[in-house]
Amino acid sequence: MSAGRASRIQLFAVMAVLVVLHFYVRPRLWDARVSPDFLMIALMLYAMRSRPGDAAVAGFVVGLINDSLSPARFGAAALAGTLVAYAASWGRAVFFADNLLVNAGMIAAGVWLRDVIVLIAGGSARGELLSEIAVFGPLQALITALFGVLILIAFREWFSIRLDV
Amino acid sequence: MLRASDRTFSRRDTVSVLVCLGLSLLGLFLPSSVGLAIASNLRDSAFTPLIWLQARAEDGRTSKARFRAVVAQRDSAAFAAQFVPAISAENRQLRGLLGLRNRLTTPYVAAEVLHQSTPTDGRMLLVHVGGRVDTFEPVIAASGLIGVVWSGGDAQATVMTWAHPEFRVSASSPDGRVFGMVAPSAGGSASETSLEFRSTSYRDTLPVGTPIISSGLGGVYPRGIPLGTVLGIAREQAGWERVYRMRPAANPSSVSDVMILRAPRAASVQSAYPGDSLLAALRADTLRRLRLADSLLRVHIVDSLLKVLQHDSTRRVPRDSVGPSVRLSRPDTARARPRVDSAR
Repeated sequence: MSAGRASRIQLFAVMAVLVVLHFYVRPRLWDARVSPDFLMIALMLYAMRSRPGDAAVAGFVVGLINDSLSPARFGAAALAGTLVAYAASWGRAVFFADNLLVNAGMIAAGVWLRDVIVLIAGGSARGELLSEIAVFGPLQALITALFGVLILIAFREWFSIRLDV
Repeated sequence: MLRASDRTFSRRDTVSVLVCLGLSLLGLFLPSSVGLAIASNLRDSAFTPLIWLQARAEDGRTSKARFRAVVAQRDSAAFAAQFVPAISAENRQLRGLLGLRNRLTTPYVAAEVLHQSTPTDGRMLLVHVGGRVDTFEPVIAASGLIGVVWSGGDAQATVMTWAHPEFRVSASSPDGRVFGMVAPSAGGSASETSLEFRSTSYRDTLPVGTPIISSGLGGVYPRGIPLGTVLGIAREQAGWERVYRMRPAANPSSVSDVMILRAPRAASVQSAYPGDSLLAALRADTLRRLRLADSLLRVHIVDSLLKVLQHDSTRRVPRDSVGPSVRLSRPDTARARPRVDSAR
């Protein structure tokens, strides 16, 4: 088996674990509004290690899942997922993606940006938008980034993560 | 080890991004009904395993998976026991004593809320239902109205909550004096979204703390579902309309279990949501009735005892040859006295 193929299998194994975590473990944790978004962790990890086109398709699929499960405004999450994943894939070219803190920062920024785009595309009121941008968005972004760090530490060999920050 | 992909932005990447963006924008600008239909089809096909997984997680969280069979049997027994007259009467008394509400007379389906991590979760809820539910069926919680079924189904449904900008419900004060329309306030934040009681007549004033209930007009929501309580006047339109700010009765973001009212719906569910004063009155009434029943029971017992005593006396008279007045008033003395005399 080639090294590239093995890496892909490892990546998809982690994605599968994150999907199970999102739909089976997250509901047991605490309030949904600030619970970690494992799907976004999976998306950001995948996007930072993929071509922009593949990342955009993955973002679109993750957004479509969110749109189907919480259809406040169909298409808003798909748009947000596409843009965030595409931006993350571009961001890889700028930042060092083997750094733990960079990964955490990218995950946090991705979650926050996704929330903002969803709210804007979903036609939210100004007050709701402000509170999301200032309070709930950052809170969820930080918690998600924290869990992202734990995932990266657990699979640091597979993701080539350097722990010496 | 995973390595970053090469930054060769080929035409395929550009096409993929543009297609995804185009599809997303198409979804955004599609009519709402079409978008919901697509979402519903996706939930029923491709994403069914994900929903199944989350539903199992919810089951596990409430320990229902392990005790489902036992709970179903217990529920069936409890349901059958409701219709036994003696138990039904006893239940009424106990509910009155404990200050509990009456049971819902409208058929309903229980549902578990599957909260999502998106910021719009409070506006549209995905619920896992135990039976078939249809569009425009009211969704209620123990504390009041949550919303209405937006797209139904056999295993899951989406619920438009009162926090959704398009939500409206005809409402009135409990005495039916003031009617209007309840809608979410436009400028509130997500964490403290409140309701507004609009289109109320200017000549009537509602004091702070007045509960507002659904009026039953329109045929979707039965009368009597609590919507919230008046917090104060939000704004007035010069002698024409008064808009009240309300504190919602139920919070969609934190609710975990709901009931979906099914047809045939009763015209009113007010008896299931009595106010505090009504509960107190019901409790006092039950206590009074119980005291009365106790007094009557005591009278019956005393009466029965007297009858038994009298019956015994009339049976002993010929055998002992003692006068009835003596036997009844001092039965022991009549026998003890000769013994004292003989000792002397």
